[in-house]
Amino acid sequence: MRRSRIVIAFAAVVIAIVLQTTVFGAGGIQPFGVAPALVTLVIIGVAPYIEAEYHILLGFTAGILIDLIGSGTLGLWAMTLTVVAFASTALRARYADSIVLSIVFTFALTLGGQLVYVFLGTLFGQETAAEPDLVPKIILPAVWNALLAYPVFWILRVAFRPRDRSWTA
Amino acid sequence: MFPQSGRRLNRVTILFASLVALGFIIATFDVRSDTNDVGNVLREGTQSVFTPLQKGVDWIATPVVGFVDGVANLAGLRDDNERLAERVRELEAQVRATDALEEQVLQLQLINGLEIPSELSTVAARIYASGTSPFDNVRYIDKGANDGIVVGQAVVDEDGLVGRVDLVSANDARIRLITDPVVAVGVRVQSTNETGIVSGRGDGPLRLEMFRATEPIREGALVVTDGSRFPPGIVVGTVARTAGAEVGFVLRSEVTPAARLSEVDYVKVIVGFSPIDAELESNTDTPGTASTTTSSTSPVSGDG
Repeated sequence: MRRSRIVIAFAAVVIAIVLQTTVFGAGGIQPFGVAPALVTLVIIGVAPYIEAEYHILLGFTAGILIDLIGSGTLGLWAMTLTVVAFASTALRARYADSIVLSIVFTFALTLGGQLVYVFLGTLFGQETAAEPDLVPKIILPAVWNALLAYPVFWILRVAFRPRDRSWTA
Repeated sequence: MFPQSGRRLNRVTILFASLVALGFIIATFDVRSDTNDVGNVLREGTQSVFTPLQKGVDWIATPVVGFVDGVANLAGLRDDNERLAERVRELEAQVRATDALEEQVLQLQLINGLEIPSELSTVAARIYASGTSPFDNVRYIDKGANDGIVVGQAVVDEDGLVGRVDLVSANDARIRLITDPVVAVGVRVQSTNETGIVSGRGDGPLRLEMFRATEPIREGALVVTDGSRFPPGIVVGTVARTAGAEVGFVLRSEVTPAARLSEVDYVKVIVGFSPIDAELESNTDTPGTASTTTSSTSPVSGDG
């Protein structure tokens, strides 16, 4: 059971990466020029279903995959998503059972993740904090993630608990 | 749920701290490494796993995304159509004038015994994927080493320079856009004929620094590649802000890229002009196999 949940969570991350680089990639769906941060959303969304250690490892692995596909310094997204996974694991008891709180926490955790990435990028000489249009690049993914939280979390719930279609765990 | 006990919290916190430390070490290694062969092998391996999935999803999603875009922009299409029709008429007139000038140049070259430069070979490619975050400046194209593409070649679209080839596998390649902070391109301002370097800032206008500039550069002046590594004369963009030379200071301004980088779907890779680093690498790489590139974070001198 535990193994199948980890496989589902990893598959969700891979699907999120593929959608992020194609459907929501450059030339794809990017409202106001910025796409949602789907991988961050999935990391937050799977928190209630897998154990804390595996969740943090999943965050690190997802981050490394993003680093390897992207153009930035290797390890920055790995650190960022490890932090997001740790925070969402710590907070999952507070938001997992409420859709409203899920949306609020998704916004906050995504925003926190974007800020951590900008800080790390600047620390490692990527001039991330000096990028034009920095504020929309930080805030809009958090807004889109909050809007997508309900459908994505519903899909994850169906994947992890096929027999339980209610929101309440 | 977390935390269930002090021991559990301790274990999770130790794991968290260890992974953050590991990420820090990886990032430091990536920044410090000169060649970063390990990182590039990992990047190629990861991309080769994701490529079939990305191509499949892109194949399915492109018509849907195009339809959604079309519906969203329906109101503006009529205005665009009229504007483009007017633009076509202007350009047709320019082409007629240019044809006459080209004929004159050709005749003068023949009279003076000058060698006529041949046209550069290009390979057309489709962009099927991009980076994962708004801070990424890479695109993936569906042509690779088997099509004659090597690291360092210039990538253009109909408007101008898009970027440089950064990573190549047998059937795919990665482009690093000119807006990437680690990309620098040797350029010439056409109006003054003086040279300099433009470098990316992640997004928006490029940073322009002129060597030993004596004349001011005017807003709107055309900026083209200087030919040191990329073929000469490729349009990079136009000067965004007038700037004058001051004694003892480097002349700095901004360049608006000619290519609309966020909207590019198809590009051409200039394969007929071998960049210096590509020549060096081709001596060590087996044809048809993956070749690696410079560090993802090391600033690249000259054209890219």
